[in-house]
Amino acid sequence: MAKRKSLPVRLVVYLVLVAIAVVDFYPVVYMAVNSSRTAVDFFRDPGGLPAPWYFDNFKALYYRFDVLRLFGNTLGDTAAAFALAMALSIPASFAFAKIRFRYRSGLYMTVIATMTIPGITFVVPNFLLMSRLGLVDHPASVVIMWAVTSVPSNIFLLVALMRGIPDEILEAAKVDGISYVQTVARIVLPLSVPGIVTLAIFNTTGWWNDLFTPLIFLQSDEWKTMTVAVATILKRFDTDYPLLLAGLFMTSVPPMLIYVALQKYIKRGLVIGSVK
Amino acid sequence: MHYRTRESLSGYLSLLPAFLALGAIVFYPMVNTFYHSFTKWNGADSHWIGLRNYRFIFSNGELWTLLRNNAVFLLSIPGILLLSLVVSVLLFEEVRGWRFFRSLYYIPTILSSVVVGMLMKMMFAPSGVVNEMLRALGLTDGTTEWLSRAPTAFLVLIFCFYWQTLGQGALIFLSGLSSISPEIYESASLDGAGWWQRLFRITMPSLVPTIVYFTVTNAIYCFIGLFSLVYAVTQGGPGRETTPIDYMIYIKAFQSPDQLGYASALSIVLFVIVLLASWAQIRWSRRYQE
Repeated sequence: MAKRKSLPVRLVVYLVLVAIAVVDFYPVVYMAVNSSRTAVDFFRDPGGLPAPWYFDNFKALYYRFDVLRLFGNTLGDTAAAFALAMALSIPASFAFAKIRFRYRSGLYMTVIATMTIPGITFVVPNFLLMSRLGLVDHPASVVIMWAVTSVPSNIFLLVALMRGIPDEILEAAKVDGISYVQTVARIVLPLSVPGIVTLAIFNTTGWWNDLFTPLIFLQSDEWKTMTVAVATILKRFDTDYPLLLAGLFMTSVPPMLIYVALQKYIKRGLVIGSVK
Repeated sequence: MHYRTRESLSGYLSLLPAFLALGAIVFYPMVNTFYHSFTKWNGADSHWIGLRNYRFIFSNGELWTLLRNNAVFLLSIPGILLLSLVVSVLLFEEVRGWRFFRSLYYIPTILSSVVVGMLMKMMFAPSGVVNEMLRALGLTDGTTEWLSRAPTAFLVLIFCFYWQTLGQGALIFLSGLSSISPEIYESASLDGAGWWQRLFRITMPSLVPTIVYFTVTNAIYCFIGLFSLVYAVTQGGPGRETTPIDYMIYIKAFQSPDQLGYASALSIVLFVIVLLASWAQIRWSRRYQE
């Protein structure tokens, strides 16, 4: 809009933005700062600064709560789930975007409609299925649940992107007699990399932050993901606020790093669907 | 083999793995839930009881408490909508450092609901920092027990919801704003339209599709996305006063013996509600596209 603004107006605009930013960012600062205090120091003055700075909470998380294993669990589960999700989504998206066959639009609508089904409405039969397969309290159950329930929205975004692949390239591949598998691996996959990166960010941060699925399918501490461990194991120590805050802070570091490093992909992913 | 048939075949084969997986993990369990909503079920044995679960849901009054709790969150959406709009319109003026503000506002959006909930629970604790600040400002005596009464517990939950959603809203509305062509503004300025006139005659009408999108996605979120937040902050309490439908399904399915049929019926009710909301979204977005 207009770029010529009087000074008082600009001041008011700044004041509002800064005020919102302070309220918005203070809790994050509060979490970071208070994770480096002793409990005694914290309760003497909950709003103050650490005196002295004290990093034993992170040591306690490392030795007593085995944070590295929790991180490893989460990382392994999300990586496996993403690999499975892509193995299911990429061929299907390619078919929806570029191959002609009967009932294509009907089947596509079925997949898109599936996006609206809330996960909690079909979790009980899945829990019983997994327990019959002996997969409850095994990471495979969480990997399967995460991967399959993410398939519809992954297909939605990938189809939108793959429609942009020029038909000429695919025609040329066909004329050259390149097989279907090679077409997908050598042409479609490389051209879809930006979309796949966006999906990787959204799916993995979503899963990293997820409570519901791992809370239900994993019970023993040994398999828990970081987020579930914070909500269940660390919560037992809920009188030691600084220790709890240190746990919350460590849980939040990976998503924040991903965000800082890969901002532009996040923006693209969020905006798709909201603005035509 | 004929060329067309081969192309169709490769199409169907590409879809097969995805559809098998969705069939096993989504479609079949959904049918299974629907069937068991008419039964009494403990996970192993079930027997048919017809509409008893549904009659119980609609007659014992529990559903209305749950819906009221969801409605409280729904009614808070206009507030965050307004806040997001104000922030993005201000940021769109391209004040210096607007990118920095946008990034800062987005940080809480990437935190887990568990982190957000537990953090706020500590800050709003009776001896916590919020009470300390309110006392320092002389607004209260600093002994408010935020989570032991329903109205204040809702305030804390809604604050969490706002905190998580502002960054998403700002980002969505900013890209909505940048898709309005600058020529419209220029010709309006030439015709002598002031800032406020341009805001209400040009900016707001062009943002309507984005506003609809934001409102409906968050309305759906209020029915299916609150589980982690409620789990971390109030656990549905005091009593059932802050329990939304999805949290109740969890309680009935995983924390009460023999209630799986009831949980299934409640799941179907939730499914229908979300279906109606999605249908409304499609209807409205079609209308505004014309």
